[in-house]
Amino acid sequence: MSTRQRDSTDGLEEPDDDKLLRDRVRENPRPAMVWLAGLAFLLLLEIGRVFAGVGQAFGIVGFTVELLAGIPTSVGDNVAGTLGSAAGFVATAITAVLMAFAVTVPVSASVPDAAVDILGLDLSRRGHRWAKRAELTFVVVAAAGLVAYTPVGGAFSALIGAITGGVDALASSLPSITSRELIPNAGHRLPEGGWEGTFLGLSPAAAWAIRTGLVFAYATTVLVWLWRGFDVYRTHYRLADWTPRDDTVRRFRNNYWGLFGFAIVFLFVVMALWAPAVSPVEAQHNIYEPNSHEFQYLDENGEVTSTTHVFANLDSRSDGQNTIGPMSYDDYNRWAPLGTTNRGQDMMTHLSYGARTSLVIGITAIGLGALIAVVLSLLSSYYKGITDIVTVMASDTIQAVPALLLIMLVSVVFQEANHPIAQPLDGGLLLALIFAFAYWPGMWRSIRGPSLQVSEQEWVDAAKSYGQTPLQTMRKHMAPYIAGYILIYGSLLIGGVIISTAALTFLGLGINPPTPEWGRLIDGGQSYVSTSSWHVATIPGIAIVLVVVAFNALGDAIRDAIDPEADVDESEAAATGGGA
Amino acid sequence: MSRWQYFVKRLLLTVPVLFAVLTFLFVMLRAGPIDPVAARLGPQAGAADRAQLRERLGLNDPLWEQYVDFITDFITFNFGQSWVVQAERDILDIAINAAPATLWLGFWAILLPLFIGIPLGFYAGLNPNTLGDYTASLGGIIWQALPNFWLCVIALAVLRRTRNGGGPFGFDWYAFGPDFASRNLSITGTPSLEWFSTTDILFLPVPYVSDWTALAIDIKLILPAAIILGSASMAAELRIGRTAMLETVNSNFVETAKAKGLPDRVIVWKHIFRNALIPLLPVITSEAFLLIGGSVIVEQIFNINGLGRIFFQALTQGDLPMAGALLFLFTLIILGLNILQDFLYTVIDPRVGYDQ
Repeated sequence: MSTRQRDSTDGLEEPDDDKLLRDRVRENPRPAMVWLAGLAFLLLLEIGRVFAGVGQAFGIVGFTVELLAGIPTSVGDNVAGTLGSAAGFVATAITAVLMAFAVTVPVSASVPDAAVDILGLDLSRRGHRWAKRAELTFVVVAAAGLVAYTPVGGAFSALIGAITGGVDALASSLPSITSRELIPNAGHRLPEGGWEGTFLGLSPAAAWAIRTGLVFAYATTVLVWLWRGFDVYRTHYRLADWTPRDDTVRRFRNNYWGLFGFAIVFLFVVMALWAPAVSPVEAQHNIYEPNSHEFQYLDENGEVTSTTHVFANLDSRSDGQNTIGPMSYDDYNRWAPLGTTNRGQDMMTHLSYGARTSLVIGITAIGLGALIAVVLSLLSSYYKGITDIVTVMASDTIQAVPALLLIMLVSVVFQEANHPIAQPLDGGLLLALIFAFAYWPGMWRSIRGPSLQVSEQEWVDAAKSYGQTPLQTMRKHMAPYIAGYILIYGSLLIGGVIISTAALTFLGLGINPPTPEWGRLIDGGQSYVSTSSWHVATIPGIAIVLVVVAFNALGDAIRDAIDPEADVDESEAAATGGGA
Repeated sequence: MSRWQYFVKRLLLTVPVLFAVLTFLFVMLRAGPIDPVAARLGPQAGAADRAQLRERLGLNDPLWEQYVDFITDFITFNFGQSWVVQAERDILDIAINAAPATLWLGFWAILLPLFIGIPLGFYAGLNPNTLGDYTASLGGIIWQALPNFWLCVIALAVLRRTRNGGGPFGFDWYAFGPDFASRNLSITGTPSLEWFSTTDILFLPVPYVSDWTALAIDIKLILPAAIILGSASMAAELRIGRTAMLETVNSNFVETAKAKGLPDRVIVWKHIFRNALIPLLPVITSEAFLLIGGSVIVEQIFNINGLGRIFFQALTQGDLPMAGALLFLFTLIILGLNILQDFLYTVIDPRVGYDQ
């Protein structure tokens, strides 16, 4: 189905397959330009949110860097506590150098060789490699020292502050089509009928429905456009007419169960990403700081009065006696599409921000766990011997402890100690890290077979004998083979992570208020299931079931699509969430 | 490597794992971010109290000495006393008292899925791509995704609603079987397990059921909790049972048996059923993982005073040594079950150890 035109003017000439994508685009720029223009237009529509996202990414990177930068001193402090301050200083320095070295190993291959040649040493290939790494480590440590101990650090942090401040300012000033300002739904009734302060004077329900509809329409358009991008690439720029990936995509498209899963997962992700837009009230006003935000409503006497969210929430609780059910207004003219919680907060807002929490935890946990699993499986299958045995022991140890109980214990230990890592997301980050720690052995075990298999292949031997570095051999010749397997297990496990997070929060050991989480909703509604406030515990429960079924379906479909005959042991991965 | 050598190797491997788990617990409880003294006394305690407790807990000793003490204590089951949950009582004593309820729950949680999940899975595998197969498979998928804690909440609400014939068709869970309403019993709670006595047969004490009503009450108490706790395993058994059945049905020896003219009944029971059971073995033993994790949640919601609930209380009330000791006991159970599984495999499947 390829309509790509080969640019060989001479029939005898070989089609030059070595051209980079950049060159191929330069030769035939039109389709790429059309697609990029469309993408730019789509991004422009939501430019405010794009910048908000960039700002958040900055925040995450900054936090991670700060956390990592704190490790050497905290290690040093611990050592200093037992062995004296000199040993502490040495420990700090050693940790810093080791961390810098770990950073340089993956990037040193892309640094030009000239960096080593200036030393004027006569080195073997291996020595050359290590010299380059050592040099890079030195540079990194010097830079870090400069930032940490000299006035340069002040200037550096000022620069960072200016950039993040600029991004935040842009995020708040630039418009987006799904913003609350453009389509407001928070207004009040007028004594003479009709609404004040809502979009076009429509009812809040209609305004909210329009905004939510717009969000999903926009997200679907972006998805379609991304798919088109793949299509453009395939027809105009890809060298091969056919690759096995085409078959994978075709198999996935014909798998209706998988598509169902994909659709639900898409809904879930959109709800999480656009949580500020699909929630009828602002989370900041309704959940985080209900004291300090006032709004107006039409009271029983027919007068427009103003009140804070605290008092309004107290009167809107769904606690058995009093119920604000789905698809109704509370007494304060606030639209509650899914009713209110047992504390009077808006359920839809809770649900969408809770989706955000679950998604962040799920992706962090599985991403980190998968990274550990892949790196260890590559190392242990490449080097075998002692590396393999140590990894087996480590994973056996973690797997010997019941996962859910291990997670509970570690989470409690860190939260009781008020460790700084338990602050972000009110314990969410801590949970994600613990999940990664508890789940990597399972993932490692399930990709161990494939990675041992691939390490025996002739192409790996060939790569070795051509003098490729171990790192390159693993990355180029072994990792792609494992990627598919880890994708399958990742999507099967993410459901387990979501269930476990909800279960821990339900028990009060996971994420603390005020960060919204689905498990806390179920906990709050558990005494009212057989009353008129049944929705409080039922709606989040159904949401969890749907999302988990969808992720399982997606995982199964990816497995069938990648390799229909793959012998994947599903019992281990799929059952993990079942304990909760 | 012969299969027995393989088994011995696996057995020896558990020793370092046990030590690694103990080290991990030591790091978490003693050397971790939490200060044991502050956890015990709270932030308001005076300096003298703190210093005294530090001395008593041995926190002033060098770290290696603390480590050795910790390991010896745990290996000899000398866990010390509980701090808060049942203050000043021996931890091992508490655990032994709580164990029967958990065992009773675990027994039913393993038994029920076995008798529901495997037959359903085998049925689906014997009749692939029929309406029954789809219903069973879809049911399994959804059943597996249901969070246990949510199921517990919903199940309790529904069961409470049936009081005085409030259920569909006048069903009343309270009056069903042994009557709870007239005995003034709650439908949640700890089974008393006082339905058996022992009698001496040839000077050996042999237990027998002395009180059938008490037995029925205990079963009824545990039934909803056990079904929910076993739900995930049931779904896993269903799926694996179906796959195993499908694979066995299509294998050559079944073809041969058909060609010999064996009746279907004999083929199914003698040739298919037995072989399809092999891949189910690890599923059944790995259930223990799920049961131990899930028991915390189910016991907490159903008010069953078992090991899981005590672990949960120890965690929420800051009784960390007890939580650590219980976690160690759970780990011992799991390691024991792993060895049992390896042993069963070695006995059942002669191919074990050759492809390793």
